[in-house]
Amino acid sequence: MRPSSTPFASAPPTVRPFSSSGPVAGSESSNFRPTPPGAPSTLTPFSAVGPSPPSRFIDPSVPSPSVKSVPPSGVPYQRFPTPPFPSAAQTPPNRAPPVGQPPFQPPASHVSVPPPSFRPQTQVPPVPMGSLPQNANFPEPPSDPSLSGPRPNFQPPFPGYPSKQPAVSQAPSPFSAQQGSFMAPPAPPSPFPIQQVSYGPPPPVANNLGYQSRDQMQHPGSAPPIGGVQSLTEDFSSLSVASMPGSIEPGLDYRTLPRPLDGDEVPSSFLEMYPMNCDPRYLRLSTSAIPNSQSLVSRWHLPLGAVVCPLAEAPEGEEVPVINFASTGIIRCRRCRTYVNPYVTFTDAGRKWRCNICSLLNDVPGEYFANLDATGRRVDLDQRPELIKGSVEFVASTEYMVRPPMPPLYFFLIDVSISAVRSGMIGVVAQTIRSCLDELPGFPRTQIGFITYDSTIHFYNMKSSLTQPQMMVVSDLDDIFVPLPDDLLVNLSESRNVVETFLDSLPSMFQDNVNVESAFGSALKAAFLVMSQLGGKLLIFQNSLPSLGVGRLKLRGDDLRVYGTDKEHILRIPEDPFYKQMAADLTKYQIGVNVYAFSDKYTDIASLGTLAKYTGGQVYYYPSFQSDIHGEKLRHELARDLTRETAWEAVMRIRCGKGIRFSSYHGNFMLRSTDLLALPAVDCDKAYAMQLSLEETLLTTQTVYFQVALLYTASCGERRIRVHTAAAPVVTDLGEMYRQADTGAIVSLFCRLAIEKTLTSKLEDARNSLQLRIVKALREYRNLYAVQHRLGARLIYPESLKFLCLYGLALSKSVPLKGGYADAQLDERCAAGFTMMALPVKKLLKLLYPSLTRIDEYLLKPSAPADDFKNIMKRLPLVAESLDSRGLYIYDDGFRFVIWFGRMLSPDIAKNLLGPDFAAELSRVSLTEQDNEMSRRLMKILKKLRESDPSYYQLPYLVRQDGWYHWLCRLDNANTPTSPAKLMIYRSSLLNVVNSSAPADESSPGVKTTTGKKGFARLGLLSMVVASISCLDVGQRQKTLKTGSA
Amino acid sequence: MAWDLIFWVLCFFINIALLASSFYQLLSLSDLEADHLNPFEAATRINSIVLPEFLLQGFFCLSFLLTWHWFMFISTLPITVYHLMLYSNRKHLLDVTEIFRDLNTEKKYRFVKLAVYLLLFTVVLFRLLSASIFFFFAWKFEELDIRTSLFY
Repeated sequence: MRPSSTPFASAPPTVRPFSSSGPVAGSESSNFRPTPPGAPSTLTPFSAVGPSPPSRFIDPSVPSPSVKSVPPSGVPYQRFPTPPFPSAAQTPPNRAPPVGQPPFQPPASHVSVPPPSFRPQTQVPPVPMGSLPQNANFPEPPSDPSLSGPRPNFQPPFPGYPSKQPAVSQAPSPFSAQQGSFMAPPAPPSPFPIQQVSYGPPPPVANNLGYQSRDQMQHPGSAPPIGGVQSLTEDFSSLSVASMPGSIEPGLDYRTLPRPLDGDEVPSSFLEMYPMNCDPRYLRLSTSAIPNSQSLVSRWHLPLGAVVCPLAEAPEGEEVPVINFASTGIIRCRRCRTYVNPYVTFTDAGRKWRCNICSLLNDVPGEYFANLDATGRRVDLDQRPELIKGSVEFVASTEYMVRPPMPPLYFFLIDVSISAVRSGMIGVVAQTIRSCLDELPGFPRTQIGFITYDSTIHFYNMKSSLTQPQMMVVSDLDDIFVPLPDDLLVNLSESRNVVETFLDSLPSMFQDNVNVESAFGSALKAAFLVMSQLGGKLLIFQNSLPSLGVGRLKLRGDDLRVYGTDKEHILRIPEDPFYKQMAADLTKYQIGVNVYAFSDKYTDIASLGTLAKYTGGQVYYYPSFQSDIHGEKLRHELARDLTRETAWEAVMRIRCGKGIRFSSYHGNFMLRSTDLLALPAVDCDKAYAMQLSLEETLLTTQTVYFQVALLYTASCGERRIRVHTAAAPVVTDLGEMYRQADTGAIVSLFCRLAIEKTLTSKLEDARNSLQLRIVKALREYRNLYAVQHRLGARLIYPESLKFLCLYGLALSKSVPLKGGYADAQLDERCAAGFTMMALPVKKLLKLLYPSLTRIDEYLLKPSAPADDFKNIMKRLPLVAESLDSRGLYIYDDGFRFVIWFGRMLSPDIAKNLLGPDFAAELSRVSLTEQDNEMSRRLMKILKKLRESDPSYYQLPYLVRQDGWYHWLCRLDNANTPTSPAKLMIYRSSLLNVVNSSAPADESSPGVKTTTGKKGFARLGLLSMVVASISCLDVGQRQKTLKTGSA
Repeated sequence: MAWDLIFWVLCFFINIALLASSFYQLLSLSDLEADHLNPFEAATRINSIVLPEFLLQGFFCLSFLLTWHWFMFISTLPITVYHLMLYSNRKHLLDVTEIFRDLNTEKKYRFVKLAVYLLLFTVVLFRLLSASIFFFFAWKFEELDIRTSLFY
């Protein structure tokens, strides 16, 4: 923090309101900068009159745009409703406004003061306060940390919502009456107490946000009451009345239920309050309001923690700056080892700095010294990215190395038994590796090596002096040794020719192999021996169950009888301790394992995946791999695995302020010590979750800081430390915690917790505990407000958690957790579990709630410019009504595409897309580009979709409507008819359709379309029903209990 | 008489060994917690002495049964049964990959074991003393004959 007297951005503004905020908020508010000249003019309207219509509500600190937009012809403005935020947020939190600022300033600076704003004791002069509550619609704009108040002003002119206009324009009138008196006193208007809420008439404000409009257009009149993305911290009335679906009676219109059609919505208030925080793509807290006491934590029934994706891909222009403190050494706190970050404060004329995490006063090294200006900021602030940016990367000196930085190293362990040969896997792998040789990171130093195995282990000597690789066969599996320990792992650039020759000949070398055995364990040990000197990345291509040598696995299979018993979970944990031990050894020697499994039979992914789990790797599973069908997927995913930027021999630690502590960690890694994650190879597609616990019963600080530090070796051979810093306010109010919640992070944590739970107990238990926690949380929230609002049989939930139930249900219907024996194959379940344990938030949410888009209209349009791609791709809710039998749809969950052909889709389209065999059974048709415009366009769409999510390759699966219904109904019967989870059945049916390679019973016309339709319509009923009913149930039970006891 | 003494001396040493092993495991775990030891080393250290301890404890318990020391047998039985249970479930060894997750329960388990061993130790010590007193001073008792001196 800056010295307390200097709200470092807000103080200067007293003189020159806007220019000074440049360096701080500059990056974010740049789109806003052009307006400053207008600023001074606004002073007058504000202090004096405060009159003209809604514009007043725009945050005073950004007066110029507001003034200009005064006539609510705000159409040009609606597309950037956010600009006010960054500049308002320029003030660091919890700073008292300096005295003597222009009258409009204090509110502005105070707006971003989160913690005080919710404390009941206020310094607000009572006079203005008293009249305030009347302005129902805008009770809080100034107090609202996210400054969401202003947004409504932009809204009225939005073309699609003429009806909303009156509501908005009415609202201002009471407010404007007191505007003057309200704004004039420099007192912080922040604490408009929570009670106001109850005055709020159901403001239409909350659901007329422009973003949502396209969804609503899709369902005119259905207008899902989704509040604005950023208006999470809206006043309660809008929460409890307007944006609540309110009563969810059995016959409720499902369309009013909120659906995450915009994908992942990152709550922005976090960033607005603390503009110097790292971007949420790196670190997301499950609630950005940290509870101050144990009792609050116990009433927050959701997981409290963070999801960290340290190497998330940054968009162009936002890369993390690399800083080299060559001579100074990296500046860190002496005591808690925190890295210097934007929240440290410099004191004593710049000679000392105070650590924001442990508040120890440290000396500033001579080379790092800079004078402070009058406001206490360092004069060289703008040349020091580490003092203004939440994410930076330091170049580490030799003291951060235990050995010279390792070269990037790729080692391949390839199964060449008969099943691997037959599936064509070897050919695809060899080709892909060969084509990626040029793009492997760390060019001159990259090392590479290969081992193949069936019942024996084959080593390859690839010394650069050879012209051809030499193969050495070791058949003694019990006592593995490495022949020629030096030449098995070679420098790629030196031995390039040998490696290429090897890869070219690999497929043909084994094409006549008839060996069915797989000595996987011994081969793994051999690879370990070869790699243990350096570490690196080990890619395992396994095509059958390990059957020989150490680590051989039994066909323990997927036993129906085991499900539902206490032994169920044993199927999901490694059978042989060899795998855990091996995983531990691999991590110890900095070897990261990625497992590629291909078998059509049981391969015990639970055991194999353990290797990836504890070494920070990943499991790729291609059931029944056939090179002509799945080849493209493997090619793409392997290529990405090989070429994406990888951090080697990394360790990660997350520090946080005094009084709180990270107590448990969840994801694919191994803990090196209580809080140190060992990550032998980590990349942008991996995220890690952790849970917080309070150590002290009461936190006294106003703000808590988090710092993620990832120490790694970059592919270029430099040792680096990537540091992400974030701050979050400490609150005393449970409601505030709920309002600042981040559904994405919560779901991600839930997902990991539930999957971990399946390893120790039944699937049923894992789902139940997940459900129970969601219900408890919603009940707690309900108890907060139910009394004063007389909500009756309604479900209420905070705006920020509107999708929680949906995602919760989606989660319990996801592959690792769903159903029982029949619903997913064991291997598939385990593989999905390993994958979901590592997925970043965004991808997880997309997997849980995939996107559905209709494309036939676009395909038919005579000519469409390329740039309106975004418009075409509007997501539809996953309900029956979205699917028109005349349409063509793409369903995309990030891992696969399902292309759905309506029954009445014009045959031309099908013919154009599928070529001559369009009438054939779709599961046997593969989608290839045909020589016509329509097909090319479809391919272009698929390509674009893939580009937007490159971590996995989405194979298109074709499905025709009838088969669809059939499947659907079968599932419908399988589940109890009253199951509220229709939506998810819809989803899982999709996946099941996909997975069934042979829908043999397709021909049986047992299911009439009508029943199908019916079942389909019921899909609309959403998850929320479950939760709400159970909420009510509990409430009732409590009531009956009470009466009983009375 | 001499056999009794020898038996209790043996028990005494066995008990000390058990105590030491428990203590050592506990120490390794707290070292691990304080980051003075990495999980690999801690797990190897502890796992290497788990089985010997189990065997020793089993022998300890069995010897009481064979020598007809009912009370001692009953008091050592719970631990033996617990050990058997752990072993049959293959949970007796520390899982190095999840060591931090299990750290607290493992520590608690070893604390309890340490306490039980300490209790046993006091009993064994007492029995050892009484046996040795009986052995070394038996002739005095014969001469004095406590019963007679009590009554007269």
